[in-house]
Amino acid sequence: MLRNYFKSAIRNLVKNKLYSIINIIGLSVSLAASILLLLWVWDELNFDKMHSKGDRIFRTAAAMGSTKDRVWEHTSAPLAIFGKEELPEIEDACRIQEYNNFLLFTYRDKKFNEKATYVDPNIFTLFSFELLEGNPKKPFTDNRSIILNETLAKKYFGSEPAIGKLLQIKNGDSYKVTGIMKDMPSNSSLQYDLLLPFDILAENRQHNPLNSDWGNFDYQTYFLLRPGASPERVGKQLAVIHRRNQPSDFFKDLIYLLQPLEKMHLYDVLGHEQGMRQVKIFLLVAFVILLIACINYVNLVTARSSRRSREVSVRKVVGANKSHLFWQFLTESSVIFLLSIIIAIALIFIFMPLYNDLSGKQMIFSLFDAKVWFLFGCTMIVILGAAGIYPALMLSKFNPALALKGILPGLGKNNGFRRLLVIIQFSCSIVLIISTLIIGRQLTYIRTADLGYTKESVFTFSAFNFTKNYEAIRDELQRQPGVLGVTTASQSVMNLMSSTGDFNWDGKPANMSNFIINQLSIDRNFPEVMDMKLVDGKGFTGTAADSAHFIINETALKQTGLQNPVGKTVTFHDQPGTIVGVVKDFHFKDMKTRIEPCILFINPYWGWNTIYIKTSGKEAQAALNSVEKLWKQYNADYEFNYKFMDDSFDEMYRSDIRSGKLFNLFASIAILLSCLGLFGLVTFTAETKVKEIGIRKTLGASVNQIILLISKDFLRLVGVSFLVAFPLAWWMMSKWLENYVYRTNIHAWVFIVAGLTAFIIAAITVCGQALKAAQSNPVKSLRSE
Amino acid sequence: MIKITELQKYYRTEEVETVALNSLSIDVQKGEFVAVMGPSGCGKSTLLNIIGLLDDLDEGSYKFNDIEVAKFNERKRSDLRKHNIGFVFQSFNLIDELTVFENVELPLIYTKVPAAERKKRVEEVLEKVQIMHRRNHFPQQLSGGQQQRVAVARAVVNNPKLILADEPTGNLDSNNGNEVMQLLTELNDQGTTIVMVTHSEHDARYSDRIIRMLDGQVVMTTVG
Repeated sequence: MLRNYFKSAIRNLVKNKLYSIINIIGLSVSLAASILLLLWVWDELNFDKMHSKGDRIFRTAAAMGSTKDRVWEHTSAPLAIFGKEELPEIEDACRIQEYNNFLLFTYRDKKFNEKATYVDPNIFTLFSFELLEGNPKKPFTDNRSIILNETLAKKYFGSEPAIGKLLQIKNGDSYKVTGIMKDMPSNSSLQYDLLLPFDILAENRQHNPLNSDWGNFDYQTYFLLRPGASPERVGKQLAVIHRRNQPSDFFKDLIYLLQPLEKMHLYDVLGHEQGMRQVKIFLLVAFVILLIACINYVNLVTARSSRRSREVSVRKVVGANKSHLFWQFLTESSVIFLLSIIIAIALIFIFMPLYNDLSGKQMIFSLFDAKVWFLFGCTMIVILGAAGIYPALMLSKFNPALALKGILPGLGKNNGFRRLLVIIQFSCSIVLIISTLIIGRQLTYIRTADLGYTKESVFTFSAFNFTKNYEAIRDELQRQPGVLGVTTASQSVMNLMSSTGDFNWDGKPANMSNFIINQLSIDRNFPEVMDMKLVDGKGFTGTAADSAHFIINETALKQTGLQNPVGKTVTFHDQPGTIVGVVKDFHFKDMKTRIEPCILFINPYWGWNTIYIKTSGKEAQAALNSVEKLWKQYNADYEFNYKFMDDSFDEMYRSDIRSGKLFNLFASIAILLSCLGLFGLVTFTAETKVKEIGIRKTLGASVNQIILLISKDFLRLVGVSFLVAFPLAWWMMSKWLENYVYRTNIHAWVFIVAGLTAFIIAAITVCGQALKAAQSNPVKSLRSE
Repeated sequence: MIKITELQKYYRTEEVETVALNSLSIDVQKGEFVAVMGPSGCGKSTLLNIIGLLDDLDEGSYKFNDIEVAKFNERKRSDLRKHNIGFVFQSFNLIDELTVFENVELPLIYTKVPAAERKKRVEEVLEKVQIMHRRNHFPQQLSGGQQQRVAVARAVVNNPKLILADEPTGNLDSNNGNEVMQLLTELNDQGTTIVMVTHSEHDARYSDRIIRMLDGQVVMTTVG
């Protein structure tokens, strides 16, 4: 029986090549696209899931304000120690500090700048990162130990054993390699290549021992809670411990939030969706793509069912019952799906490298991976359920006596159900077109928004030894061709990571005792070089008095409520000073974050680590050459790594840009699939109307009239789809835009463009086929009928 | 074998109801060869479809081998059909995607006859209708006469007690038509009951009895 089913399925496929190709291409492309999307979703959902105790590990964040609106994902160093000692719910704690600047490591003639991370020694027992060589329970033998990942070990030592080798740093200290760890998986939020003992940070701090420094929130703290412990309760108790050790009004509202490690990637500290929104969107797109392909299949199979009526009837006449026919048609669908799977697998293999490149992930597609088959299984069940069973049921229900006469109530014509499916399909496509346009506009909005400073033709680099001779170097560089300005700051102005509560002014209200202000130490010419606008005051004077001068931003002014701020005395880190200017608000964090209060001040001892060079664009290369010449003179030991601010900016939104690109790609696939389905339906409609077209032409109908005859119904359905799609798209995109504090508006023209695009694409598909039918020779069509 | 009493059959559209068969009663005895004749639209094919359980009747009784089958559900009808009834149509109704052998084999598949047995029986019946040499051809590769011989082979392969033939020679020239009629006669001689709808007086002469219909009713029965 099964053999017979397969035989007839394959012969039917071969006989109806065009429709088989439409079905198979549609299904295989949609399967491939959905699997690629699901692999992405899977990868996202499995971020940080590699730790055996992962469900009990929490990252600690400090929420300062009474409304928890100011959250700092770092804690002070002693919190881990006191928490572990005093709270029985805490089983273990691990602190991590990522050193912001590079350290120069030397081994024989090899010299590399590396980003070092200081970690507590229990990192390999609390987390499940794999230590290939060394003792996971005691990875550092002393404070001059170092752990490298495989990649670094190979870079320094090649194939030689790395354990026991010594790496030197600039100050002459040598670090002995005591462990080699496996490179951290790409779907881990924690990404470190080189680990140093956390205790190094405690060295030379006699005046302010690290483990009693409660005020410096500079360390990531991960707690391993005992099974059943409540993270909320632990968070509150940790705050109590903090306040007890550092009684201050500033911490009166302090609360610690324990965020599950496994949720770090997709949610913010407060549990709001971040990346999870993207995951949901991509899941939805995968579903829509499958839905469109299923609709194509169901539409084409049921439309063409009239062509199968005789066969079905004959089978019934010779003894087949409903279930025989049901299974026969399901087998046919399965054969098509099987072929589609094979093609889909080939497509995935072909496009996987490109897809990884586009998505910035390292997803692996292997047929030996159970997950892949799980995804295939799920999608196949969905497809087979949605697209295989319905046509099989329809076809097996024919009344053979009627079907042999060609009477098929409700089938073979443009019945209501099929119209509904076309409307659903085109509504999805129009929603996707609108979403593509709005996502594109938002990304453009972010990239072209006025940040409040210039980022065009400005490049930055780490200062290293330039810091010592900064002023001389600045003056020399300013004389070089192509250099329009040279300045420096303690951090990147794009992503300011330093803030303080040490800012006071006369009349500061009691309820603002925990007011926090972001701080950036700059060279006096920073506002001028970076084209920042002062809305009040004259700014820094270039005299020694500037060390007690401050510039605040508009938001700081607004929040502090200072009247006539210029000339007012404020205290910053216990030093009194004067406000000499108010700078127009500028974006020092990403566009998803509302602009916060900020203070600019001059203090070279704060580490002017980042140099900014403004060039004229055209002469950027000349400017780079000039810097490089000086670099060799002062920083010969270090690599010259510069970055244009435009690129750094794009990097900040890399994930959004990538998601946008992926969305465009998959939305295009969905739209093409819709058109493929429409093409199939129209071709079939034209086929069934061969006789009618012939008669009409014989009676004098023009080509245009015939095109209208075939097209009008379909185009009307596309029109109806607008009514469904527009409100849905508006609602969905409004929700999506809420993700951004600074966002574009949804304009009516977006809907008009999307509608026109969908209509034109559909019209080309429909009218192209209709034209072909209309131009056929009527004599031939009448004869064939 | 067949006893139909007071059979009513209507065709309904949204606006009109047409009486296809009106208080029709017939009997067919086991081993009989009955021809049903009448002008187009008189209800011959409808009657044949009802006898073959391909169509429902609206009122009346239909007994097949003394069992009331009028109210049989789809499954029982299909069971009764596959074990007892063979069909031959004017337009052959072979499945284009299956070869001659596979078309004839089909009823045996649905009655779950084992493969070896199927092969034997199909080959026997193909020999009988003299089409064995074309066993691997597809229907479109055969002449009309050959296709009808295959259709007859398919109708008899399951050794049905009843063969229903709807204008079996309608699409054939006289030579091929005669061959098919010969085949049916031989089957009848071997004990198979045959009910044949035809327009041809010539073909009807092969039967034992001719039932003449008009407007959904039997108007005359002639014994051949």
